[in-house]
Amino acid sequence: MTSPPSLSRRQFMSLTATLAGTAALAACASPVRGAGDVRTLEFWHLLSGADGVTMSGLIDQVNGAQGAYRVRPTVLAWGEPYYTKLAMAAAGGRAPDVSVMHASRVPGYAPGGLLDTWDVGRLADLGVDESAFPAAVWEKGFIGDRLYSVALDAHPFVLMYNTEICDAAGVLDADGRLQSVTSPEEFLELARAVAGESEGHGLSYGYLGDGAQLWRLFYTLYTQHGLEIALPEGGEVEMDVDAAVDSLSFMQQLLDGEIAARENDYQSAIAEFATGRSGLFLTGVWELRSMLEAGIPLDATVIPTLYGTPSVYADSHAFTLPHQSAPDPETRDQVYRFVADILKGSFDWAEAGHIPAYLPVTESPAYADLLPQAHYAEAAELVRYDPPAWFTGSGSRFQAEFGSAVQNSLLRGDDPAAAIERFRARMNAQLRMPNPANPDGGAA
Amino acid sequence: MTTTAPSTSTTTVVTGRAAGGPRRHAGDRRERGVAWGFLTPFLVAFALFLVWPLLHGLYLSFTDQSLTGAGGGFVGIGNYVGALTDPVMWQSLGNTAWFTVLSTVPLVLLALVMALLVHRGLPGQWLWRLSFFMPYLLASTVISQIWVWIFNPQIGAANGILTAFGAEPVAWLQDPSINMGAIVIATVWWTVGFNFLLYLAALQNIPHQQYEAAALDGAGSWRQLWSITLPQLGQVTVLIVILQVLASLKLFDQAYQMLGGIASDTTRSIVQYIYEAGFVGYRFGYSAAISYVFFAIIVIIGVIQAFAIGRRGARS
Repeated sequence: MTSPPSLSRRQFMSLTATLAGTAALAACASPVRGAGDVRTLEFWHLLSGADGVTMSGLIDQVNGAQGAYRVRPTVLAWGEPYYTKLAMAAAGGRAPDVSVMHASRVPGYAPGGLLDTWDVGRLADLGVDESAFPAAVWEKGFIGDRLYSVALDAHPFVLMYNTEICDAAGVLDADGRLQSVTSPEEFLELARAVAGESEGHGLSYGYLGDGAQLWRLFYTLYTQHGLEIALPEGGEVEMDVDAAVDSLSFMQQLLDGEIAARENDYQSAIAEFATGRSGLFLTGVWELRSMLEAGIPLDATVIPTLYGTPSVYADSHAFTLPHQSAPDPETRDQVYRFVADILKGSFDWAEAGHIPAYLPVTESPAYADLLPQAHYAEAAELVRYDPPAWFTGSGSRFQAEFGSAVQNSLLRGDDPAAAIERFRARMNAQLRMPNPANPDGGAA
Repeated sequence: MTTTAPSTSTTTVVTGRAAGGPRRHAGDRRERGVAWGFLTPFLVAFALFLVWPLLHGLYLSFTDQSLTGAGGGFVGIGNYVGALTDPVMWQSLGNTAWFTVLSTVPLVLLALVMALLVHRGLPGQWLWRLSFFMPYLLASTVISQIWVWIFNPQIGAANGILTAFGAEPVAWLQDPSINMGAIVIATVWWTVGFNFLLYLAALQNIPHQQYEAAALDGAGSWRQLWSITLPQLGQVTVLIVILQVLASLKLFDQAYQMLGGIASDTTRSIVQYIYEAGFVGYRFGYSAAISYVFFAIIVIIGVIQAFAIGRRGARS
C-alpha cells in the first residue's frame, strides 16, 4: 500500500485532476470576461405571477433595444423574505446593481445606509425629473433632501364593479359609470341596492387573516378625513382617534352579511367577484388582469370620497440602489439608463393594472383609450402611503399588527374604540424600540 | 440505540487485530488514523454548522447586532432583560406550551388507538398502515397548502361539512379564538403516522404466548388489553411522549405557512417570534437572546424527562 509507485500514481492522478479542474474553471470564467462592453446589470425584484410576466416583457424590450447593457433579473418571493435578503445583500456591500422596492419600505432602509442615493441631475439628463411624475409619487422618493427611490408606478386600492349587476341595480350614471357618492350613508345605500341584484353579496372584500387588506381600506377611509397618522421615532403615535373609530365603524357596517360577508379572506373575495356573484369589489389594481381574464363585465373607479377629502391608500414599486461598497461607475451609468428606459416603456405595465408613474405615459392618447385603467388613473394624484417609520410598509409587521388589533371588531363585532386603542398601544411599543438599521439614530 | 452501535463495532475490530500479535500497535495507530479520516468530514460539518453557530449565537445575544450590519456593540445582558420583560415573548412561549399540550395528547392517544385497531386485525392491514403513515411523508409545505384549502372559510371542505350539518361556517385559520385548534388538527393529521408506527412495532413485539396463556385462563379481549398490551407499551409510550413534546415545542413551519408569514397573537410560537425578531425586525442580537432563553427551557424539560425515566427505570 505504501510502495512508491502507487503513491506516485496517486500523486499523478491528483495532479491531473487539479489541472483539469483549473482548466474547467478557467473555461467557465472566460465567457463572462469576454462579454465585451455590454454591462450585465443585476436586477432584483419581487414581482411574480402576472406582474412578473409583464416585468419580464419590459426587460426583454429594453434589453433588445440597445447594446450597452443587459439586465439579468432575479425574482424573489414577495414580502419579508425579499426584504430580508435585500437588506442582507446591502449590508454586505455587494448588493445587486438595482432593485425594486415598495416605496413605503424605503424609510426603513435608507437611514441605515442600506441604500445609495439617486443623483437627481443625472436622472434629469435622461428625462426623469419632478415634472414627469405626480407630485405625491415623486416626493415619496425623498427622505430629507435626498432621493432614494424612483417610482415605476402607483398601485392604489380601488373599487371594481360588475357593470351588468350595477346596471340592474340602477346605480350607473348616464355614461354607464358608477354613480358618484359623497357620504358613508350614500355608499351603504348604493351597496345595498347592488346586494339586491347580486347572487352572493353586494360587495366583496377579503380581509380575514390579512392585515394588509384591513389597513388598505382603513387608511383610505381615515385619510379621507383630511388626516394622516404620524409615527415619530421614540415618540408616541399621532392619530385622530375619533376619525379612526369612525372609519372602523364604517367598515363594520359594510360587513353586515348582506352588503358584504364577514367570512371572506383574500382568495374567497376574489372568487366571489370573479364568478359574478357580487357587484362591487374593494381590491388593489394588481388584481385587474385576473378580473379581466375572468370574463365578467368589468369597470373600475377610484374609491369614492366619503369623508370630504379625496384620498386613497397606495404604494409604489420603486427603483432603488441597494448599497454597494465600490460601485462600478460605468455600471451605475447603465443603471440610470435602464431605469429611464423602463419608465419610458412602462405603458405595458399599465396592462397589469398599475398606474405608471411616468406622466408622459399616462398622459398619452393611447392610455386614455386603455379601459378600465384610465377610469382610475386620477388615483395617482391622491395617493397616501403608509406613515413613514422603519417598521411600516407593504409586507411589514406593521400591517400585520394592525390586522390583529382590529380584525375581531369586524369578525365578531367587538368595540372599534377598543380595537383602535390596542393598535395605538402596539404602535407605541414599536416606537420605543430603536431602529435596528440605525440604532444610534435615536429619538431625534 | 445509536450509542451502543459504535462501541460494539470497535470491540470487534480491536479483538480482530489483537490476533495479529506484534503488529498490534502499528495497526492501532493506523486504524486510528483511518478512523479520524472517516470522522473528519462529519467533524468539520459539525463544528462549522453546529458548534460555531451555537457559540456565535451566544455571543450575538450579548450584542445589539442588526441584520442590516448596523450595531454589534456589547450590551451585556440587556437583550435578556428585554426578552424576559417582553410580553410578546411570554405570549409566544405560552402559545408554544399550549400547542404542545393540545397536540401531544391526541398525537399519543390517537396513534395508540389506530395501532390497536390495525394490530387487532382490521382487514387489509397494509392499506391502513400505509394510509395512516402516508401523510407523515409529505413536506410541511404540501400539508400546509392542503389544509389552507380545507380550512378556506368560503369554499373549504371543513366548512362544507359543517354547513351540511346545519352549523355556522367558521373562519378556521383567521379567527384568533380557534386558529390554534386548526393548526393542531392539521399537525395531528400530518404526524400521527409516526407515533402509530412506533406503537405498531411495539405491539408486534409482545410475545404471542402471553395472549394464549391469558386466553386459556379465561381472559377476554378487554382484560388482555388492560393486563398485557397496555403495560407492555409503557416503554414506547415514554419514548413517544418525549419525542412528541420536543417536536411540538419546535412548532414553526406549518403554522408559518398556513397563516401566511406573520403570525397572529394567538398562534405566534416562540420559534416564530425568534424568526420575526431576527429576520423581519432585523434585531439579531435580541433574537439570539430569545433563542437562548428557549434553549434553557428545553434543557430543563430534557433534564426533568431524563430524571423521570431514570426513576421509572429504577422502579422496574
